[in-house]
This record gives sequence, structure tokens and C-alpha cells, in this order.
Amino acid sequence: MINLTGIDKYYDSKFQRSFVLKGINLHVKEGEFLSIMGPSGSGKSTLLNIIGLLDKPSEGQYTLFDKSVLDLKEKEMVDYHRHFMGFIFQAYHLIEDMTVVENIETPLIYKGVKSRDRKAMVADLLDRFSMVAKKDLFPQQLSGGQQQLVGIARAIVGKPKLLLADEPTGNLHSSQGEMIMGVLDELNKEGMTIIQVTHNERFAEFGKRIIRLEDGYLSKL
Amino acid sequence: MIRHFFINMFRNIRHNKVFTLINLGNLVVGFAVFILFSVLVDYELSYDKFNTNYEQIYRVQTRQEDSYPINYCTYSPPAYRYHLLSDLPEVEKVLLMREVSGGAHGSGQFFTLPDGSQLNEQDGYWSENTIFDIFTVPLIEGSKQNALTEPNTIALSETLAKKLFPTGSATGKLVTIGKHYPLTVSAVYADFPLNSSLRPTYMVSMPTYDILGDGPQYRDNWRQIQFDNFILLKKGADPEQVNAKIRDAFKNIKDYEKSFPYLHPLSKHHISPNSQGDMLIGLAILSLAAVLVLILACVNYVNLSLANSTQRSKEIGIKKVIGSSQRFLAYQFLAETVLHTLFATLVALFVAQAALPLLNRIMEKNFDLSIWSNGTMLGLILLVSLLVGVLSGLYPALVISAYNPVKVLKGKLFSNGGTSFSVKKVLVVAQFSISLFMLLVSFILYGHVNFILNKDLGFASKNILYTEINVHDTTDFETIKNRMLQHSEISDVAFSSTIPFIGNIGGYISWEDGAPDDRVMVSRNYVNYDFIPTYNLKMVYGRNFSREYPADNQACIINETALKVFGWKDPVGKRITLYGRAYPVIGVVKDFHPYSVHNLIPTYVMFLNSNVISGSSLISVRYTSGSEANAKTIVTRELEDILPNDPFEFKDFGVAFYLDYAIGFWQTMKRMFIFFAVVTLFISTIGLFGLILFTVRRRTKEIGVRKVLGSSIITVYWQLSSEVIYMLGFAVILGCPAAMVIYKAMPGAYKEPLSALVFVAGILLIAVIAQLTISYHVLKVAVSNPVEALRYE
Repeated sequence: MINLTGIDKYYDSKFQRSFVLKGINLHVKEGEFLSIMGPSGSGKSTLLNIIGLLDKPSEGQYTLFDKSVLDLKEKEMVDYHRHFMGFIFQAYHLIEDMTVVENIETPLIYKGVKSRDRKAMVADLLDRFSMVAKKDLFPQQLSGGQQQLVGIARAIVGKPKLLLADEPTGNLHSSQGEMIMGVLDELNKEGMTIIQVTHNERFAEFGKRIIRLEDGYLSKL
Repeated sequence: MIRHFFINMFRNIRHNKVFTLINLGNLVVGFAVFILFSVLVDYELSYDKFNTNYEQIYRVQTRQEDSYPINYCTYSPPAYRYHLLSDLPEVEKVLLMREVSGGAHGSGQFFTLPDGSQLNEQDGYWSENTIFDIFTVPLIEGSKQNALTEPNTIALSETLAKKLFPTGSATGKLVTIGKHYPLTVSAVYADFPLNSSLRPTYMVSMPTYDILGDGPQYRDNWRQIQFDNFILLKKGADPEQVNAKIRDAFKNIKDYEKSFPYLHPLSKHHISPNSQGDMLIGLAILSLAAVLVLILACVNYVNLSLANSTQRSKEIGIKKVIGSSQRFLAYQFLAETVLHTLFATLVALFVAQAALPLLNRIMEKNFDLSIWSNGTMLGLILLVSLLVGVLSGLYPALVISAYNPVKVLKGKLFSNGGTSFSVKKVLVVAQFSISLFMLLVSFILYGHVNFILNKDLGFASKNILYTEINVHDTTDFETIKNRMLQHSEISDVAFSSTIPFIGNIGGYISWEDGAPDDRVMVSRNYVNYDFIPTYNLKMVYGRNFSREYPADNQACIINETALKVFGWKDPVGKRITLYGRAYPVIGVVKDFHPYSVHNLIPTYVMFLNSNVISGSSLISVRYTSGSEANAKTIVTRELEDILPNDPFEFKDFGVAFYLDYAIGFWQTMKRMFIFFAVVTLFISTIGLFGLILFTVRRRTKEIGVRKVLGSSIITVYWQLSSEVIYMLGFAVILGCPAAMVIYKAMPGAYKEPLSALVFVAGILLIAVIAQLTISYHVLKVAVSNPVEALRYE
């Protein structure tokens, strides 16, 4: 599904070029659960952002379903975000001025789903994550784990093929982290492709495959 | 979707109460000022439009090219009516009018009230019946056929009729004018609206003028330029053609060869009665100010929106990641701005309506206006509001919607300056420049008004009472003078045909040593022996008129300006010629201002009158200081005793001075501008306040780090405020020259030289206000505990 070949990402400063990513080759099959590990500053998040079309590599090829996605128009890129990918962040990044329901509903609005269908889809997810009682609360009224559940719900409500998680458990204590990883595992079993970036060895083990980044190089495939 | 938009907007407002309040308040103030001003301009431009024949009405005025500067006289001689206009095929109706009081501004005629007391009524006219054909004057009593056709008849305005005849109808009853002349009321007409440039309170029929005025021969007079000639052009007639036909009317009138009749459209009567642009310049300057205030509010809005957007940047980043397009976000922000401006406009309409009394006080007018009743203007304001909304929403919408989600979500928005920041700087500079400009112009106008109010008029204007009087029984002036001087409170008494600021008699003279056809328009005044001492005029050459020289009644006194025009070295004994008669000059008075200091001092000549008072005259009385209270009672009692049958009313000279058109104009300009400057400063201050709040929030962490590293409070303060001082510098470069341009454009013959102090004061004031505004936030951060700031993650 995902094919990265010879991906470089660098920044030019006056006297030298500093690489964030160097010569990355990566292939991800549909239905995989991939964990990307590595120390701070090793380029994990940058790699994830490139996969998520939020950032562009300086060099290299990137194809999604055999289609190059490096020179997309803004509109096509937006379409990928609407229909194909979901994001989860370490800091949850929920919209603070929106209730739980509204946060989950927003991607569907952008997708152009009808109001009645939206209601049904959101209700379904609330049910699944046992958040029905919390649906009208604002993010800051929830615990970290609950906020991340809302984050996941928002990411998957549009039924994306690919779920990208940037340190989804980074801000949570271990029991809550465990719970979130359980949810991701379940989603993967239902067939969703998941790529997560993490520090945590134990949570990385939830992945079917682990890759390690060191100073921009893939150290073990 | 729309529901979401609104929910989002309202939650945002709730979340950012201070910002929203500042931002909307700023828009409301900006719009309220703009609306008030639109109302004012609309009112000024609405003058005379109530006349159904508005487009076809012209006053035939007189351009006198031999006076300097060229005099565009609103008056004209009666001969226009009988020998120039009545036969033109383009002209449908002609109308001859004359002010009953004889042209002295602020004087009037006396009516006997039911209780026997005298009522001084101004703005009365002699008029022909055609006024009812040309102007739109609804009649309450009487008929338009014969309201002003018969001799000894008068038409009263409704207000005056109510005063004279409180009960019952007025038509057919007698009124007495000036205790002498009984006239029959032939009609009562509705008061002319406030926005009419012609507002007669009563009109005496022109046939009466033959009897009470100068007799029927006035019809052939080309030199008596004291009448108003109105014409109604036929539909489609070209005024330029008429102008060409009447241009040479004075060709054969001796001494008046350089005078030319011209048509002055009714649409210009109010704005530019004497074909001068003074009021237009004034309105233009004020319009500029109003538009600047609105621009300032928009700039503020843009600045604050951008500042506030950093608060919302995360929201934007998330929305982009979960599938919102940039265009959609831009539309969302634009729609929000437009809604903000529309809401602000709506509030501003109420604010403006509530503030109308304030405008009335500033303008010293009595607008009875409702903002809601003027549909076209409301539409226009709405349009401007939409335009402003789109314009001030566009830039922030584009900037904000273009935020890169990766950077925003990492909180890195400001790490690398970027274009939005420099645009913000430009906007702040614009804001400072406008504020400084408005402040400087206010100072300049304030100075100018003080200058013309306090300029040495060249005569003693304090402690003077004056009255206009029409004396029927010829009286020796010495009698009046001696009776008044018996009282120690009275120090001088004089009579004359005009006094400073009141009355003007023109005339052409030639002078000794001048070229044969050299001629100059002068202001004439016929004075008695006491005029010069009463007004404390200073002699530069020669002497005052004196009883010891009987030949003085054939002599004259000129002013310094006249001396300069004539070019004489040794003036005493030289001769001037007026209408074929030569008068030797016996003295020269130091220049004084016979009219407002707005105008140049004219060439001025005084002749001796016969010291016998008869007909229309002005009596001036100087009283000793401290006897303000008694003086008026004393002179009124004495004069009533001597002339019981001639009504009069003593007034303070100060009143005449303030009645002056130019003084009123500048007073209004000054007050308007101070108002504008206060509003501008207010808007800029709240704008700056919001902006600094934003800067400080953005740099809280940086300041914390600096303090941990050992930076002092003063260094931190300087770090934060130096940016503002830097931008202020740019504003000085832009604002000062702009204010100078306004100073140059200001109409008026005399201006105070522009002082550097004005600029220093303006710049200092702005700098102090700016520093005070930023100090609050900056000091709060500068003295705060750095740990607090760094904990902010």
C-alpha cells in the first residue's frame, strides 16, 4: 500500500545541510500495524508527517496504492485527508471550543455526510467507546485517556484505511495507555492499517512490525 | 453546517471575551463616527432639495472682477429684473427680493406684539409674488394668486403669525412694522424647512417697496447691488447660454464695467454661496477625517484578528489535518468578519442615533434627524459595512487559513518571523500615522481658532453696545450724545452707516496719481466725529474729522491698505474721486479688520456724515469697564426717551463678532476635529492595548528565559517597547507632512505661522499615550516571576 523509496528530508543552513531523514526505504502492506521507534530527534514524527501528507520529503519517491502522491494539488491532498487517513496526536489536539460530539462529527461535515447519517455514525462510536454519558462535555472536562479516545473516535469516524498515531500514549499513564493500545489493536484486527510512532518499548510490541530510526537512518528493518 | 459555523463563532467569542470586546467596540466606535458624519454630510447636501423646481432655480449674482480678490457678490441690482432677465426666452419666471433690514447681518425689523411690546424679527424680505411659483412654499392661509401682489400687504410665516395673532386666523388683519407702517396680512405660509438656504420669516409685497422704499425709479438702478434676483429656467434650458447672453450687461454702466452677472445654481447656495470653496474644503477635510477613523478601525480589526488568530491556530491546524480545505477555512473567517462588521454596524446605528445630541452641540445646530428614516443612507451604510467587512476580513482570512498544520500543532508559528508579521508592523505604523495626523490637525485648528478669535482686530472691541435704528424725525446727534454722556458709565457715543462686522457699502473710487482708468472697489463708511475715538482707531498720518474744520464734510480718511494701493508717499492732502466728486484725504488710520479676520483687510474709506441722524443708522456706545450691567439699561432708556417712535435694540458687540460666518465655521471645524482626534486616539489606544497583550503573550516564555539568565526589568521593558518606539518614528515621518498639507489647504487670509511646538506636542502626546498603554502589560510580565512564565508549557 505505502511505498517509500530513497526518502531524504533535510534543511539547508548557511554552511551545511542537516538531514532529518536519510535514504529511507519503507514498504507497508495493507492491514499492517507498524511501530516506528527511536530516540528524540531521530525523525520519527517527520517520517509520519510525510506519510500523512502533512510534510514533503526533499528527495525520494512516495506512492500510495501505486500512485505517486508527492505532487498533489491542495484539493487532492484534502481529499486524502478526508477519505483515506486519520490522525491521532500525543497532545490529543481536540478543538477546545467543541463538545465531544462535535469534535467527532467535524470530519464528517468536511466529508459532506448528511446530518442524519452523521448522527448515526457518531452515536455508534460513542457507544463503542462507552462515552455516551460524556458526549456533551468539552475536552478539558475529560481525563487524558478519555480525550485520546475522542481523538481516536474522530480519526476513525470517517472509516479511513490508514490510521497514523504520533505518540498516542505519550501523555497518558500506563493503565490508560494500555487501554488506548487495546483499542488500536482491535481496530487493526478489524482490518485498519495503523502506523504509530512511540518511545515506549512495551507499547511498540503491539505492532506487528517494529522499525527503528537513528539520526534519520533506518537501523533495523 | 451553518449551525456549526454559528456555534463555533459564539464559543470563540466566549473564549476570547477581551479580544472580542475590544475588537467589536473598536468597530462600533469607528462606524458610529462614520454614520454620524454621513448623516451630517447628507444633511448639508440636502439643502434646498425640497423645492420641486430645485434643478431649474438660479440666483443671478454679480462677479466684480475689479476688486481683489475677485468678489463673487450674492447680491445684484434691481435692474437685472426689469432690464436683463425678463425678456430672455430661457427664463420662465423672475423674482426680485430684498432683505428688509437692509443687509446688516443680525439686525431685523420690529413688530408690535398684541401686548404692545416690540418683537425684533430677522430675515424679512421684500418679495414679488413669483416666489410662490419658483420656490415650494405651501400656504396655510390666503392664495398663491395674490399673496404678494397688492401694495401694503405682508405674508407671514406660520411661527410669526402665531406670535402676532395667537388666536384665530391672521389674514386680513393689520400688523405694524417699526411702529410706523401698518400692513395687511395677505397670507400665512408654512415655515421654510431648516435645510433651506432662504428662510424668510415674513415677506412684504414688492409693490409696497414703491411706497416705503426709494420710489418706483429703483427699477432702473444698476448700481444698487443689494437685491436678490432669482430666476426659474425653462426645463432643458442651458444656463451657460443664459450666462453668455447676460455677460455684458454692465458694459455701459460707468464705473461698473468690470462687473458681470452670472447664474448661481440653487444647489450651490448653501455649500458655496459666494462661489468660494471654503465650506467645501471644510467638508472635505472633515470627510477625510471620518473616513480615516473608519480606516483606523479596520486596521485595528485586521491587527487584532491576526493577533487573536494565534490563539486559534491550533484549531486551524487540526481542522486542516482532519480534512478541511484552506478555501473553506478562509470563507469561514471571512464570513465571521463580515458578521462582526454587520453586527457592529447595527450597534453603531443605535449609538449614532443616541449621539445625535452630541453632534448638535458640537455643530451648534439643531438637527432634528432620525437615522432610521433615511432609506438610501441606511442602504449605503450597509454597503460600506459589507465592503469594510470583506476588506478587513480578507487578509486575516488568507493568512490564517494558510497556516502550516505541522508547524502550528508544534506551536512553532512564530519561530521564523514570516510575512504576516511585517504586514502587522505596516498596519501599526499606519495606525500611529493616522492618530498623529489627526492630533496635529486638531492642534493646528485649535491654534487657528484661537488665532482668529484673539487676533488684534485693530480696534477696541470690548465694552461696546450697538443698535441699528431707523430714525423718522431727523434728530441732531449731539442731543443723543449729550444725554448719554451725562451718565458716568458711558464714555463714548458715535453713529455711522456701518460698524465693524456689520454692514458693508461698496463703491468705486479713483485716486490722484493713478492711471486714468485705475479704479478700485472700496468699503465706504459714513461716520460722525466720534467714530474713530469710540472704536479707538489709531491715526498713522493726519488727523480725525474735526468740528474746527468745516471743510471736513468734503474730506475723507483712508486706511493703510488703501494707502498701499494708491502708492502715495505723503497722503495728507491727496485726493480721491468717488462718483465724479473729489475728496481730499485728511488722515490715514492704522489697518483694522472691518470684517472677519478670515478675509483680507479691504481698501477702506471713511467720509464725514452730517452729525444729524436720519434714516437707517448704527449707534455705537462705549461704556466704562465694570458697568456692563447698567450700560444697556441706561442707553436704552435715554434713546427711547428721545426717539419714542423708532424701535431699536442694543446688543453687545461681542454678539456681532460671534455671528460672523467665518468664526462660526472655524469654531465648528475645531470642535469636530477635537472630537475626531479623541475618537482616533481612543481607537488606536485600544488597538495598541490588544496588540501588546498579544505580543506579551507570545513572548512570555522568552521573557522568562531572559530573566532566568539575569536580564533586568529595565532591559526587558526596553526589549518589549523599543519596537513600538521604532514604529512611532515612521509615523512621525508620515503624519507630520500630511498635517502640513492640511495647514496649507486651510482657507483664510490670515493664518498663524506653523509652530514646531505643535509637532513636538503632538508627537510627545502620542508617545506618552503609547508608552502608558503598553506599560501595563509589559510591566506585568517584566516584574513577574520567571518560573511562572516557564511553567507555561
